[in-house]
Amino acid sequence: MAESPAPARRREPGLTASRWTTVRRLVAEHPGAALGVTFIVVLVLWSLFGPLPYDPRGTDGSASREGPSGTHWFGTDGTGGDVFSRVIEAAKIDLSLALAGTAVALVIGVPLGLAASTKGKGSQRLVRGLDAFQAFPLLILALALVSLSGNQLYMVVVAIALLNIPRYMRLLRSEVLAIRESRFVEAATAMGASTPRLIFRHLLPNVWGVILVQTSLTIANSIVVLSSLSFLGVGVSAPTPSWGSMIRDGAGNMSSGEWWIATFPGLAVLLCVLAFNQLADAIGDRTARSYR
Amino acid sequence: MALSTITTRGPSRPRRASGPLKLVASRLLFLFVALFGVVTLSFLLVSVTPGDPAELIAGPVASQDQIEAIRADLGLDQSLWQQYLDYIGGLLHGDLGTSYYTNLSITSEIGNRLPATLILIALSVVFAAVVGVGVGAAGAYFRGRWPDKVGRFGTSLFQSVPDFFLALILIYVVFFVLGLAPAPTGQIGISDVRPEKVTGFITIDALIAGEMGTFWSAVSHLFLPVLTLGLVYAAYFAKTARSTVGKALNSQQAQFARAMGLPERTVLRYAFVEARGTIVTYAGVIFAALLGGEAIVERIFAWDGIGTWALQGILRLDVPVVQGMVLVAGAITLVTYTLLDIIVGLLDPRITHG
Repeated sequence: MAESPAPARRREPGLTASRWTTVRRLVAEHPGAALGVTFIVVLVLWSLFGPLPYDPRGTDGSASREGPSGTHWFGTDGTGGDVFSRVIEAAKIDLSLALAGTAVALVIGVPLGLAASTKGKGSQRLVRGLDAFQAFPLLILALALVSLSGNQLYMVVVAIALLNIPRYMRLLRSEVLAIRESRFVEAATAMGASTPRLIFRHLLPNVWGVILVQTSLTIANSIVVLSSLSFLGVGVSAPTPSWGSMIRDGAGNMSSGEWWIATFPGLAVLLCVLAFNQLADAIGDRTARSYR
Repeated sequence: MALSTITTRGPSRPRRASGPLKLVASRLLFLFVALFGVVTLSFLLVSVTPGDPAELIAGPVASQDQIEAIRADLGLDQSLWQQYLDYIGGLLHGDLGTSYYTNLSITSEIGNRLPATLILIALSVVFAAVVGVGVGAAGAYFRGRWPDKVGRFGTSLFQSVPDFFLALILIYVVFFVLGLAPAPTGQIGISDVRPEKVTGFITIDALIAGEMGTFWSAVSHLFLPVLTLGLVYAAYFAKTARSTVGKALNSQQAQFARAMGLPERTVLRYAFVEARGTIVTYAGVIFAALLGGEAIVERIFAWDGIGTWALQGILRLDVPVVQGMVLVAGAITLVTYTLLDIIVGLLDPRITHG
């Protein structure tokens, strides 16, 4: 994953320790994040290169709604599709859309947040405006965007980005405003540092940790938004398996006892979200120590 | 009232007297501007996004003439500006238009469904606040020991679980396996008769009509949806309570109270008082977030509230329904935020007004 805790590792003071020792200590200090990252890496690698026991898009009328067993590890759904193969295959589209939405939000939100981090009246009004935007029922807004655009996949990415850009802007603004007060920024300005130099050499390195934490949280949130959308039948459509639509397929079966159809894709969402949340916590712990 | 407050206080404390007033006035002004923004956005949302409702209503086999006729009927052939003016004009008369599909008035539809959603949200927030603050405060008090560890594990688990997935799991476990809750059939069972409408809240209406069977059925049908939303949002309360109560317990004030030999119960009570403002703010924010945020859970439990209604509207591109939902949810949220701002601002003298 692009958001591995690499930058946090580099901050480790143990210059003499070998890389392997560093990794071992990191795992010991943040077992939750380590487990989470392992889970995500295995899931992604398997969905990209791993062999699947059955065709994830295939159906089998003779083996419909079978419980988990040796032949079908996670059971089969209403059309006889193998739930295990579909859960693994769905990681491709679900994770890549979530990552794409997060990337767009990051690329647009961070510069806008930097630009808005002044003490002027205009910038304060902008933040108030963002608050008002956050007051909207965001899921409804995302749904409206995607379904009104005729169910375009790129609109899912746009919707995720739109929901998260204000969060990046607010976060960056509050962090940068606090740092702007400090002596080293004052000193740099007094020495005649240009604006780009100020931003890239003095401000960004200090908010890098917060940005990473927010990015990890945004990925987690995007996975939930994405699966909510496809749970409602919006976004990723039929032949391509996605976790949300699989949960939708199995939702009715929950009150008649066939729990496996919705539970395994649901667990996939839960574990991915948990992994990115744990990762965010771990990055937050480490970066907070290094610059405060 | 505004004038008398300033004149009676006299010139000795002009700044302090105008502080709270200024706070209220500025928040109300902001509310007004933001509401206007919400109206404009809800109008633009559906007018600018690609996709033609007229084609959708007409169906795939309709001729171009039929589509044009529907478009003229809906007023979609007019300029955007004219549509906007019509929209604002209708709004001022309390008219939000009619649904494309059912031809029912949006205003009355919202009026009929809002009580079901409000009772669900209110109970969920109360449940979440009680459980969440309890777990969070216990975690703060026993920091690092087992209640804290268990609480933090639960918090991160429930913070990561999508609400609709938790709803399904609870339906399977509590309804199918344990049989402790009724089937997800909405506010009352299929065989129950809806009591005569007085307040719109089914539980209250059933009590008024004296139908205890319907009342208990309505209460039992509230159990699973409230449990679902309550557990998910309790995680947020727990996280906030753990950090704010923890901070208060480590403050010099708490150390001093302990040094004076006050019982632990009193120290804890002081910490709660200090954390109160944050937790109240949080309850308001979560109440607002639930409005519309609980739509999927409503749908799963066949709950007849505005969430289910809005989802259905969106999925079949019923533009006035979407506009109505965005408008109502946005307006209620903004009003909640404004009230919170004012209440917290007035309660806490440390907050600088303005």
